[in-house]
Amino acid sequence: MNDVQRFTQVYTQAPWRKQLQMIGLFLVLLILAALVAGIYLSVSARTAEIGRSIQGMRYQIEIIKRGNADLSTQLADITSDEVMRKRASELGFHPLETGDEVLYLIVPGYSDRQPVNIEPAPSLALPSNPSLPSDYTQSLLDWLRERVFEPAAPLLEAKP
Amino acid sequence: MKSEHSWRYLTLGILLSTMAFFIIVQMVRIQVSPQAQVFRDRGSANTGGWQTIVPPRGEILDRWGHLLAGNITVYEVGVELADVRNPSTIAMAMNAVVGSNYDDVFATVSQPYSEKAIYRVIADFVSEEKKSRLEQLKEEMDIAYGDQKDKNRPSLSGLIFTPHLQRSYPEKELASNILGFVNREGKGYFGVEEKFNDLLAGTPQTLWISADPNRVEELPKVPDGVSLVLTIDRAIQSEIQSILQTALKESGAEAGTIVVMDPQTGEILGMATTPLLDLNEYWHYNEIFENPTPFNKAVSQSYEPGSVFKVLTMATALDSGAVKPDTPFLDTGVFEIGGVVIHNWDGGAWGPQDMLGCLQHSLNVCLAWVASKTGANFFYKYMQDFGIGHLTGVDLAGEVPGRLKLPGDGDWYEADLGTNAFGQGVSVTPIQMVMAVSALANDGKMVTPRIVRSMIDKGREYNTQPQVAGMPISPKTARAITKMLASSLEIESSDALIEGYRVAGKTGTAEIPTPFGYTSNATNASFVGWGPVDDPQFLVYVWLEKPTSSPWGSVVAAPVFREVVERLVVLLNIPPDKVRQRLLEGQ
Repeated sequence: MNDVQRFTQVYTQAPWRKQLQMIGLFLVLLILAALVAGIYLSVSARTAEIGRSIQGMRYQIEIIKRGNADLSTQLADITSDEVMRKRASELGFHPLETGDEVLYLIVPGYSDRQPVNIEPAPSLALPSNPSLPSDYTQSLLDWLRERVFEPAAPLLEAKP
Repeated sequence: MKSEHSWRYLTLGILLSTMAFFIIVQMVRIQVSPQAQVFRDRGSANTGGWQTIVPPRGEILDRWGHLLAGNITVYEVGVELADVRNPSTIAMAMNAVVGSNYDDVFATVSQPYSEKAIYRVIADFVSEEKKSRLEQLKEEMDIAYGDQKDKNRPSLSGLIFTPHLQRSYPEKELASNILGFVNREGKGYFGVEEKFNDLLAGTPQTLWISADPNRVEELPKVPDGVSLVLTIDRAIQSEIQSILQTALKESGAEAGTIVVMDPQTGEILGMATTPLLDLNEYWHYNEIFENPTPFNKAVSQSYEPGSVFKVLTMATALDSGAVKPDTPFLDTGVFEIGGVVIHNWDGGAWGPQDMLGCLQHSLNVCLAWVASKTGANFFYKYMQDFGIGHLTGVDLAGEVPGRLKLPGDGDWYEADLGTNAFGQGVSVTPIQMVMAVSALANDGKMVTPRIVRSMIDKGREYNTQPQVAGMPISPKTARAITKMLASSLEIESSDALIEGYRVAGKTGTAEIPTPFGYTSNATNASFVGWGPVDDPQFLVYVWLEKPTSSPWGSVVAAPVFREVVERLVVLLNIPPDKVRQRLLEGQ
């Protein structure tokens, strides 16, 4: 029996070594937790910062929209029919009168002035709406699942 | 050693547990206390706020993209009552710069700050220029008096400027009767602004706007109002408005209307009526449009058109086979129908005529005979097919249907057939006449007049399509009546003729009914015409109300038609007939 006890004692780790392992494990866990918390805080802070800048940009969009409306109306003011007629008159132009000599020509390939089309017709194909690549939206778990469970690109290509 | 330190660990543990216990107790107490809701409300109040997002009103453009109705930034001026230092300075500045009433502003700004009185509006729709002046004053006062500790020092502290959009009409009076206007509450009145108010205004949304940047994606996009591209040509509109003003001066007419339409597509190229209104100062509406003047007489006022209506009577008779262009008629100067004796416009007898002569001399007696020969059933069926007495469906607010009495109506008599034949006893709007006559100018196909060419919504442009409202007469009849009317103008050497271009048309002079019958000497002078006759590209309707220089349409309205067409052929790039034929042969 004594031999057994001695044998066990010889191969049993010293108590201080066990304590050291426990402390080490605790510290590793603590560091991991701190790391996760740090990453979480960093991501949250960046998300909040980007969210705040998006809010700012939306506000800017409103300002720019109003600015555009102002500019477009100002442009219409300075190119209004009344103003343009006055400017043309000051430059020495006058409306075509009856009896004025007008020469009409056939210009090959010329098509008459067509009414304005400001936006594309609904039937025309438009560039697709910009969308974020999945890299920006997938979670860590999604990424892992994709990498672990789904076949790699070369395998996909090898499929018949 | 162990027992030596154990009491310290025990004490520390008890202390920390007690603190944790009290913290938990306090948390539970706060959660269940009567003030809990107050705290929750305060908390949620800082997480965002309800906001009504009003989308920018859609623009209105002419067919070439010229802006007819847009938006400009104006400001709501308000005060944060907690920040107000000197109400008197604010009231003075608002009075001097914006023109606000001093006492009203002073009373508003002097209110003490409380939970119910945080912010007050003292002026709205303040222009950028005035807002900049107020900001400059505020800055100058801060520099000049900012260091003083005197409580009553001049200060504009507390003033807040909140931008928003307001309707603006760069062309002022141009096409005002077509556009209508928008009041400060954002509601459209008259014309396109009223007809398409819901589309133009978009859908304002009241939303909870979260201040939490992590919820920024939850804010939905509020689409802008739909923009409209009209069929109107700004240059044509300007020309016909100018011609109308001159015509009113020269003829002494009370009011006038000119409508220009493409008879093949129904696109209204110009529509001028009087009076006009500078849409940027729409509050003068009540002074300018004295009751009951319609905002746009082309669609909202019916009248007895007189002899221009004869083109429809003759078209009906030709199409139904009642007469042919060479059918003879002996004009004795009188024709009795339903117990009423019809006379010619000059009271004379014009002797032997054919149908061309009847139109050329605008003989009431002949046309009454033609209508009686057509028969009431056919006549009124055709008139209804021409859209008389019905709305045309033009996309403008306030259209009225006019009145066509029909056999079977309580107030219809057989004599009405005779008077209706030359445009008396029947009321129409100019736009109805334009639509009806489009059948004559367009090989029998009558097109619905339209003002909106396309709509722009969410980055896509949706074009409206020409609509055929019916085919009241055959192409053969349409060509025959066009030829007759063109010849009659040429034989008469009408003032409506345009050098180099063959046009068809008809004058009209209508007596104006009063409550006691046709007792007034005043007339409505009209002219309807289209051209070039081989390929009609314009249809022009002219109506002058109560001209004083001459009562006759042939004298006052026909020259206006000519002036309009002289400008149209230039603006629409229509070469003279001979040149056009040569160019076509060259191709």
